[in-house]
Amino acid sequence: MIGVVLRIGTISFAAVLVLAGAAAGASDEATYPDIGGTWVRPGAAQWDPTKPAGLRQQAPLTAEYQRIFEANLATTAAGGQEYNPQINCMPAGMPRVMIAYDPLEFIVTPAVTYIRSDHLAQFRRIYTDGRPWPEEITPSFVGYSIGRWVDRGADGRYGALEVETRGLKGPRSLDASGLPLHADNQTLVMERIFLDGANRNLLHDRVTTIDHAYSRPWTITRSYNRDPAPVWVENNCGADNHYVSIGPETYFISADGYLMPTKKNQTEPGLKDFDPPSR
Amino acid sequence: MGRLSTALLAGVALVATGGAVLAHHSFAMFDQDHPMDLQGTVTEFKFTSPHTFILLEVKGTDGSSTVWNLEGASPSALVREGWASKTLKAGDELKMTIDPLRSGAPGGSWSEKKTNFSSGQPIVTH
Repeated sequence: MIGVVLRIGTISFAAVLVLAGAAAGASDEATYPDIGGTWVRPGAAQWDPTKPAGLRQQAPLTAEYQRIFEANLATTAAGGQEYNPQINCMPAGMPRVMIAYDPLEFIVTPAVTYIRSDHLAQFRRIYTDGRPWPEEITPSFVGYSIGRWVDRGADGRYGALEVETRGLKGPRSLDASGLPLHADNQTLVMERIFLDGANRNLLHDRVTTIDHAYSRPWTITRSYNRDPAPVWVENNCGADNHYVSIGPETYFISADGYLMPTKKNQTEPGLKDFDPPSR
Repeated sequence: MGRLSTALLAGVALVATGGAVLAHHSFAMFDQDHPMDLQGTVTEFKFTSPHTFILLEVKGTDGSSTVWNLEGASPSALVREGWASKTLKAGDELKMTIDPLRSGAPGGSWSEKKTNFSSGQPIVTH
Protein backbone atom coordinates (compact mmCIF):
# COMPACT_ATOMS: atom_id res chain seq x y z
CA MET A 1 0.00 0.00 0.00
CA ILE A 2 2.89 2.35 0.71
CA GLY A 3 4.05 1.98 -2.88
CA VAL A 4 0.61 2.96 -4.05
CA VAL A 5 0.63 6.00 -1.80
CA LEU A 6 3.94 7.11 -3.22
CA ARG A 7 2.73 6.57 -6.76
CA ILE A 8 -0.28 8.76 -6.23
CA GLY A 9 1.85 11.35 -4.53
CA THR A 10 4.24 11.40 -7.46
CA ILE A 11 1.49 11.82 -10.01
CA SER A 12 -0.07 14.56 -7.98
CA PHE A 13 3.23 16.39 -7.58
CA ALA A 14 3.84 16.26 -11.30
CA ALA A 15 0.39 17.64 -11.88
CA VAL A 16 1.07 20.45 -9.43
CA LEU A 17 4.11 21.47 -11.39
CA VAL A 18 2.20 21.50 -14.63
CA LEU A 19 -0.77 23.36 -13.25
CA ALA A 20 1.31 25.87 -11.31
CA GLY A 21 2.99 26.87 -14.53
CA ALA A 22 -0.27 27.46 -16.25
CA ALA A 23 -1.26 31.01 -15.71
CA ALA A 24 -4.39 30.64 -17.78
CA GLY A 25 -4.97 34.31 -17.94
CA ALA A 26 -6.82 34.41 -21.20
CA SER A 27 -9.44 37.09 -21.00
CA ASP A 28 -10.95 36.91 -24.45
CA GLU A 29 -13.96 34.61 -24.45
CA ALA A 30 -13.44 33.98 -28.16
CA THR A 31 -10.36 32.04 -27.21
CA TYR A 32 -12.33 29.34 -25.42
CA PRO A 33 -13.89 26.34 -27.12
CA ASP A 34 -17.64 26.49 -27.44
CA ILE A 35 -18.42 24.24 -24.49
CA GLY A 36 -20.78 26.59 -22.66
CA GLY A 37 -24.37 25.46 -22.38
CA THR A 38 -26.19 22.23 -21.74
CA TRP A 39 -24.87 18.74 -22.29
CA VAL A 40 -26.87 15.53 -22.08
CA ARG A 41 -25.71 11.97 -21.43
CA PRO A 42 -26.60 9.83 -24.44
CA GLY A 43 -27.65 6.77 -22.46
CA ALA A 44 -25.42 4.47 -20.50
CA ALA A 45 -24.81 5.32 -16.84
CA GLN A 46 -22.28 2.69 -15.86
CA TRP A 47 -18.87 4.21 -15.23
CA ASP A 48 -17.21 3.09 -18.47
CA PRO A 49 -20.03 3.70 -20.95
CA THR A 50 -18.44 1.46 -23.57
CA LYS A 51 -18.73 -1.70 -21.43
CA PRO A 52 -21.64 -3.37 -19.66
CA ALA A 53 -22.04 -2.72 -15.95
CA GLY A 54 -20.59 -5.07 -13.35
CA LEU A 55 -17.56 -7.30 -13.75
CA ARG A 56 -17.42 -6.64 -17.49
CA GLN A 57 -16.32 -3.09 -16.67
CA GLN A 58 -12.93 -4.78 -16.13
CA ALA A 59 -12.10 -2.29 -13.42
CA PRO A 60 -8.43 -2.53 -12.37
CA LEU A 61 -9.28 -2.95 -8.70
CA THR A 62 -6.87 -4.15 -6.05
CA ALA A 63 -7.62 -7.62 -4.70
CA GLU A 64 -9.13 -6.13 -1.55
CA TYR A 65 -11.47 -3.82 -3.43
CA GLN A 66 -12.31 -6.45 -6.03
CA ARG A 67 -13.74 -8.47 -3.14
CA ILE A 68 -15.68 -5.41 -1.98
CA PHE A 69 -17.02 -4.87 -5.51
CA GLU A 70 -18.09 -8.50 -5.82
CA ALA A 71 -19.85 -8.24 -2.47
CA ASN A 72 -21.63 -5.14 -3.76
CA LEU A 73 -22.70 -7.03 -6.87
CA ALA A 74 -24.04 -9.84 -4.69
CA THR A 75 -25.99 -7.28 -2.68
CA THR A 76 -27.34 -5.88 -5.94
CA ALA A 77 -28.41 -9.33 -7.12
CA ALA A 78 -30.36 -9.78 -3.90
CA GLY A 79 -32.13 -6.47 -4.41
CA GLY A 80 -30.10 -4.24 -2.11
CA GLN A 81 -27.76 -1.35 -2.69
CA GLU A 82 -26.65 -0.21 0.71
CA TYR A 83 -23.23 0.47 -0.78
CA ASN A 84 -24.65 3.24 -2.98
CA PRO A 85 -24.60 6.61 -1.17
CA GLN A 86 -26.99 8.14 -3.67
CA ILE A 87 -29.81 5.88 -2.49
CA ASN A 88 -30.07 8.24 0.49
CA CYS A 89 -29.66 11.40 -1.58
CA MET A 90 -25.96 11.77 -0.92
CA PRO A 91 -24.32 13.62 -3.83
CA ALA A 92 -22.41 11.60 -6.38
CA GLY A 93 -19.26 13.66 -5.97
CA MET A 94 -16.25 13.39 -8.22
CA PRO A 95 -15.83 11.78 -10.57
CA ARG A 96 -19.32 10.20 -10.61
CA VAL A 97 -21.08 13.54 -11.09
CA MET A 98 -19.68 13.50 -14.64
CA ILE A 99 -21.97 10.57 -15.46
CA ALA A 100 -24.58 13.33 -15.86
CA TYR A 101 -27.70 11.63 -14.54
CA ASP A 102 -29.35 14.95 -15.33
CA PRO A 103 -27.91 17.32 -17.95
CA LEU A 104 -24.75 19.24 -17.13
CA GLU A 105 -24.55 22.98 -17.64
CA PHE A 106 -21.11 24.40 -18.43
CA ILE A 107 -20.52 28.08 -17.71
CA VAL A 108 -17.15 29.31 -18.93
CA THR A 109 -15.56 32.47 -17.58
CA PRO A 110 -11.91 33.51 -17.77
CA ALA A 111 -11.22 32.76 -14.11
CA VAL A 112 -13.53 29.84 -13.43
CA THR A 113 -15.40 27.23 -15.41
CA TYR A 114 -18.50 26.12 -13.58
CA ILE A 115 -20.22 22.79 -14.12
CA ARG A 116 -23.70 22.70 -12.71
CA SER A 117 -25.78 19.56 -12.21
CA ASP A 118 -29.36 19.72 -11.01
CA HIS A 119 -29.00 16.12 -10.03
CA LEU A 120 -28.42 16.08 -6.29
CA ALA A 121 -27.58 19.80 -6.45
CA GLN A 122 -23.93 19.51 -7.36
CA PHE A 123 -21.82 22.42 -8.50
CA ARG A 124 -18.21 22.26 -9.64
CA ARG A 125 -15.82 25.20 -9.77
CA ILE A 126 -12.75 24.70 -11.92
CA TYR A 127 -10.35 27.53 -11.25
CA THR A 128 -8.41 28.67 -14.31
CA ASP A 129 -6.96 31.87 -12.86
CA GLY A 130 -3.52 30.39 -12.28
CA ARG A 131 -3.90 30.07 -8.54
CA PRO A 132 -1.70 27.61 -6.64
CA TRP A 133 -3.17 24.78 -4.62
CA PRO A 134 -4.30 25.97 -1.21
CA GLU A 135 -2.26 24.71 1.72
CA GLU A 136 -5.34 23.10 3.18
CA ILE A 137 -8.46 21.98 1.39
CA THR A 138 -11.68 21.36 3.27
CA PRO A 139 -12.81 18.05 1.80
CA SER A 140 -15.99 18.08 -0.25
CA PHE A 141 -17.87 15.69 -2.52
CA VAL A 142 -16.94 17.52 -5.72
CA GLY A 143 -13.49 18.45 -4.43
CA TYR A 144 -11.27 21.35 -5.35
CA SER A 145 -10.45 21.68 -9.03
CA ILE A 146 -7.73 23.61 -10.82
CA GLY A 147 -7.69 23.65 -14.59
CA ARG A 148 -5.79 25.09 -17.45
CA TRP A 149 -6.69 25.72 -21.05
CA VAL A 150 -4.42 23.97 -23.52
CA ASP A 151 -3.87 23.24 -27.19
CA ARG A 152 -4.48 26.66 -28.67
CA GLY A 153 -5.11 26.24 -32.36
CA ALA A 154 -4.42 28.36 -35.39
CA ASP A 155 -7.83 29.95 -34.96
CA GLY A 156 -6.78 31.27 -31.56
CA ARG A 157 -9.12 29.02 -29.60
CA TYR A 158 -7.98 26.63 -26.94
CA GLY A 159 -8.66 23.01 -27.74
CA ALA A 160 -9.21 21.52 -24.30
CA LEU A 161 -9.53 22.14 -20.59
CA GLU A 162 -7.31 19.97 -18.41
CA VAL A 163 -8.38 19.63 -14.81
CA GLU A 164 -7.03 18.12 -11.63
CA THR A 165 -9.38 17.57 -8.70
CA ARG A 166 -8.39 16.69 -5.17
CA GLY A 167 -9.67 17.28 -1.64
CA LEU A 168 -12.51 14.79 -1.87
CA LYS A 169 -14.59 13.23 0.84
CA GLY A 170 -16.84 10.21 0.97
CA PRO A 171 -18.74 8.09 0.86
CA ARG A 172 -18.57 7.94 -2.92
CA SER A 173 -18.69 5.22 -5.55
CA LEU A 174 -18.09 5.33 -9.28
CA ASP A 175 -21.57 4.22 -10.32
CA ALA A 176 -24.75 2.57 -9.11
CA SER A 177 -23.40 -0.95 -9.60
CA GLY A 178 -21.12 -0.48 -6.61
CA LEU A 179 -17.73 0.19 -8.20
CA PRO A 180 -15.95 1.30 -5.05
CA LEU A 181 -13.56 4.09 -4.24
CA HIS A 182 -11.12 3.73 -1.37
CA ALA A 183 -12.31 4.66 2.08
CA ASP A 184 -9.25 6.89 2.59
CA ASN A 185 -10.76 9.41 0.14
CA GLN A 186 -7.38 10.27 -1.36
CA THR A 187 -8.83 10.07 -4.85
CA LEU A 188 -7.26 12.27 -7.50
CA VAL A 189 -9.16 12.91 -10.70
CA MET A 190 -7.51 14.14 -13.89
CA GLU A 191 -9.72 15.25 -16.77
CA ARG A 192 -9.37 16.46 -20.31
CA ILE A 193 -12.55 18.12 -21.56
CA PHE A 194 -12.75 18.77 -25.29
CA LEU A 195 -15.12 19.02 -28.21
CA ASP A 196 -15.15 16.22 -30.75
CA GLY A 197 -12.97 17.03 -33.73
CA ALA A 198 -15.68 16.25 -36.27
CA ASN A 199 -18.86 17.00 -34.33
CA ARG A 200 -18.91 20.25 -32.38
CA ASN A 201 -22.14 19.19 -30.70
CA LEU A 202 -20.40 16.30 -29.01
CA LEU A 203 -18.33 16.88 -25.87
CA HIS A 204 -15.85 14.42 -24.39
CA ASP A 205 -14.47 14.19 -20.89
CA ARG A 206 -11.54 11.83 -20.63
CA VAL A 207 -11.43 11.00 -16.93
CA THR A 208 -8.52 9.35 -15.15
CA THR A 209 -9.23 8.18 -11.63
CA ILE A 210 -6.25 7.63 -9.35
CA ASP A 211 -7.37 5.92 -6.17
CA HIS A 212 -5.97 3.41 -3.73
CA ALA A 213 -8.81 1.00 -4.53
CA TYR A 214 -7.28 0.61 -8.00
CA SER A 215 -3.95 -0.93 -8.96
CA ARG A 216 -3.33 1.69 -11.62
CA PRO A 217 -4.90 4.92 -12.90
CA TRP A 218 -8.15 4.08 -14.68
CA THR A 219 -9.05 6.17 -17.72
CA ILE A 220 -12.44 6.18 -19.36
CA THR A 221 -14.19 8.68 -21.63
CA ARG A 222 -17.65 10.02 -21.05
CA SER A 223 -19.41 11.95 -23.80
CA TYR A 224 -22.35 14.31 -23.99
CA ASN A 225 -24.63 15.64 -26.69
CA ARG A 226 -25.29 19.36 -26.82
CA ASP A 227 -28.87 20.34 -25.98
CA PRO A 228 -29.62 23.59 -27.80
CA ALA A 229 -33.02 24.03 -26.13
CA PRO A 230 -32.71 22.75 -22.59
CA VAL A 231 -35.63 22.34 -20.26
CA TRP A 232 -34.48 22.50 -16.66
CA VAL A 233 -36.36 20.46 -14.12
CA GLU A 234 -35.58 20.99 -10.46
CA ASN A 235 -34.23 17.87 -8.80
CA ASN A 236 -34.20 17.92 -5.01
CA CYS A 237 -33.64 14.35 -3.98
CA GLY A 238 -35.08 14.85 -0.51
CA ALA A 239 -38.41 15.95 -1.95
CA ASP A 240 -39.76 12.45 -2.45
CA ASN A 241 -37.08 9.84 -1.97
CA HIS A 242 -38.74 6.51 -1.27
CA TYR A 243 -35.73 4.69 0.15
CA VAL A 244 -34.93 4.44 3.83
CA SER A 245 -31.74 2.89 5.13
CA ILE A 246 -31.82 1.58 8.67
CA GLY A 247 -28.73 -0.18 9.92
CA PRO A 248 -27.45 -2.47 7.18
CA GLU A 249 -30.75 -2.62 5.28
CA THR A 250 -32.62 -0.41 2.83
CA TYR A 251 -36.40 -0.37 2.63
CA PHE A 252 -38.94 1.04 0.16
CA ILE A 253 -41.81 3.25 1.25
CA SER A 254 -45.25 1.96 0.30
CA ALA A 255 -48.12 3.91 -1.19
CA ASP A 256 -49.54 4.47 2.28
CA GLY A 257 -46.26 5.52 3.84
CA TYR A 258 -45.05 2.32 5.50
CA LEU A 259 -41.79 0.47 5.05
CA MET A 260 -41.80 -2.36 2.55
CA PRO A 261 -39.03 -4.93 2.07
CA THR A 262 -36.95 -4.71 -1.08
CA LYS A 263 -35.44 -8.19 -0.79
CA LYS A 264 -36.94 -11.60 -0.29
CA ASN A 265 -37.01 -12.60 3.38
CA GLN A 266 -35.67 -9.20 4.44
CA THR A 267 -35.85 -8.69 8.19
CA GLU A 268 -37.83 -5.82 9.60
CA PRO A 269 -35.87 -3.00 11.21
CA GLY A 270 -35.14 -3.31 14.90
CA LEU A 271 -37.60 -1.43 17.08
CA LYS A 272 -36.11 -2.16 20.49
CA ASP A 273 -36.42 1.43 21.68
CA PHE A 274 -40.12 1.66 20.82
CA ASP A 275 -43.01 0.61 23.00
CA PRO A 276 -44.84 -2.41 21.62
CA PRO A 277 -48.10 -1.57 19.84
CA SER A 278 -51.09 -1.32 22.18
CA ARG A 279 -53.58 -4.12 21.86
CA MET B 1 -17.37 11.93 -37.13
CA GLY B 2 -13.96 11.21 -35.65
CA ARG B 3 -12.74 7.74 -34.77
CA LEU B 4 -13.13 8.33 -31.04
CA SER B 5 -16.70 9.52 -31.16
CA THR B 6 -17.73 6.88 -33.67
CA ALA B 7 -16.30 4.06 -31.59
CA LEU B 8 -17.64 5.48 -28.37
CA LEU B 9 -21.15 6.07 -29.56
CA ALA B 10 -21.24 2.63 -31.10
CA GLY B 11 -20.27 1.27 -27.71
CA VAL B 12 -22.92 3.32 -25.99
CA ALA B 13 -25.57 2.01 -28.35
CA LEU B 14 -24.42 -1.54 -27.74
CA VAL B 15 -24.58 -1.14 -23.98
CA ALA B 16 -27.81 0.81 -23.94
CA THR B 17 -29.62 -1.96 -25.73
CA GLY B 18 -27.97 -4.67 -23.70
CA GLY B 19 -29.64 -4.07 -20.36
CA ALA B 20 -31.44 -1.74 -18.04
CA VAL B 21 -30.12 1.78 -17.92
CA LEU B 22 -28.77 2.59 -14.49
CA ALA B 23 -30.20 5.61 -12.72
CA HIS B 24 -28.87 7.44 -9.67
CA HIS B 25 -29.66 4.28 -7.79
CA SER B 26 -29.71 0.89 -9.40
CA PHE B 27 -33.07 -0.74 -10.00
CA ALA B 28 -31.73 -3.92 -8.43
CA MET B 29 -34.61 -4.17 -5.99
CA PHE B 30 -36.96 -4.62 -8.94
CA ASP B 31 -37.06 -8.04 -10.57
CA GLN B 32 -36.40 -7.29 -14.22
CA ASP B 33 -36.38 -10.99 -15.07
CA HIS B 34 -40.00 -11.45 -14.02
CA PRO B 35 -42.05 -8.49 -15.24
CA MET B 36 -45.77 -8.52 -14.52
CA ASP B 37 -48.82 -6.91 -16.07
CA LEU B 38 -50.97 -4.57 -14.03
CA GLN B 39 -54.23 -2.93 -14.94
CA GLY B 40 -55.77 -0.39 -12.64
CA THR B 41 -56.70 3.16 -11.76
CA VAL B 42 -54.28 5.97 -11.06
CA THR B 43 -54.83 7.35 -7.56
CA GLU B 44 -51.90 9.78 -7.81
CA PHE B 45 -49.18 10.73 -10.28
CA LYS B 46 -46.21 12.16 -8.44
CA PHE B 47 -44.00 14.16 -10.79
CA THR B 48 -41.39 14.49 -8.09
CA SER B 49 -37.66 14.23 -7.71
CA PRO B 50 -35.57 12.25 -7.64
CA HIS B 51 -38.00 9.88 -9.38
CA THR B 52 -41.60 9.96 -10.49
CA PHE B 53 -44.22 7.65 -9.00
CA ILE B 54 -47.52 6.26 -10.18
CA LEU B 55 -49.83 5.04 -7.44
CA LEU B 56 -52.06 2.49 -9.14
CA GLU B 57 -55.08 0.90 -7.50
CA VAL B 58 -55.42 -2.67 -8.73
CA LYS B 59 -58.50 -4.75 -7.98
CA GLY B 60 -58.05 -8.43 -7.21
CA THR B 61 -60.32 -11.21 -8.33
CA ASP B 62 -61.72 -11.41 -4.79
CA GLY B 63 -62.85 -7.79 -4.93
CA SER B 64 -60.07 -6.45 -2.73
CA SER B 65 -57.89 -3.65 -3.97
CA THR B 66 -54.21 -2.86 -3.52
CA VAL B 67 -52.44 0.37 -4.27
CA TRP B 68 -49.12 -0.30 -5.96
CA ASN B 69 -46.30 2.22 -5.54
CA LEU B 70 -44.48 2.32 -8.87
CA GLU B 71 -41.23 4.19 -9.41
CA GLY B 72 -40.37 5.65 -12.80
CA ALA B 73 -37.74 7.80 -14.43
CA SER B 74 -36.76 11.23 -13.16
CA PRO B 75 -38.92 14.19 -14.16
CA SER B 76 -35.98 15.49 -16.17
CA ALA B 77 -35.84 12.31 -18.23
CA LEU B 78 -39.61 12.14 -18.69
CA VAL B 79 -39.80 15.75 -19.85
CA ARG B 80 -37.49 14.76 -22.68
CA GLU B 81 -39.98 12.05 -23.61
CA GLY B 82 -42.83 14.53 -23.76
CA TRP B 83 -44.27 13.96 -20.31
CA ALA B 84 -45.34 16.66 -17.85
CA SER B 85 -46.75 16.79 -14.36
CA LYS B 86 -50.35 16.70 -15.67
CA THR B 87 -49.84 13.94 -18.22
CA LEU B 88 -51.64 11.57 -15.87
CA LYS B 89 -54.37 12.36 -13.39
CA ALA B 90 -56.26 10.48 -10.72
CA GLY B 91 -58.87 8.27 -12.30
CA ASP B 92 -56.92 7.43 -15.44
CA GLU B 93 -57.11 3.76 -16.31
CA LEU B 94 -53.74 2.24 -17.18
CA LYS B 95 -52.36 -1.00 -18.46
CA MET B 96 -48.71 -1.45 -17.57
CA THR B 97 -45.93 -3.99 -17.58
CA ILE B 98 -43.86 -3.38 -14.48
CA ASP B 99 -40.84 -4.90 -12.78
CA PRO B 100 -42.03 -5.85 -9.29
CA LEU B 101 -40.13 -5.60 -6.02
CA ARG B 102 -38.17 -8.79 -5.40
CA SER B 103 -39.74 -9.02 -1.97
CA GLY B 104 -43.24 -9.48 -3.40
CA ALA B 105 -44.54 -6.31 -1.73
CA PRO B 106 -46.81 -4.12 -3.85
CA GLY B 107 -44.16 -1.92 -5.39
CA GLY B 108 -42.19 -1.88 -8.59
CA SER B 109 -40.75 0.19 -11.38
CA TRP B 110 -42.58 1.46 -14.41
CA SER B 111 -41.39 2.56 -17.82
CA GLU B 112 -43.09 5.03 -20.12
CA LYS B 113 -42.42 2.60 -22.95
CA LYS B 114 -44.49 -0.12 -21.28
CA THR B 115 -47.38 2.01 -20.08
CA ASN B 116 -50.57 2.77 -21.99
CA PHE B 117 -54.11 3.76 -21.24
CA SER B 118 -56.29 0.68 -20.72
CA SER B 119 -57.93 1.46 -24.06
CA GLY B 120 -54.59 0.82 -25.71
CA GLN B 121 -54.07 4.49 -26.50
CA PRO B 122 -50.48 5.65 -25.86
CA ILE B 123 -49.97 8.12 -23.02
CA VAL B 124 -47.86 10.51 -25.05
CA THR B 125 -47.87 10.77 -28.81
CA HIS B 126 -44.84 12.21 -30.51
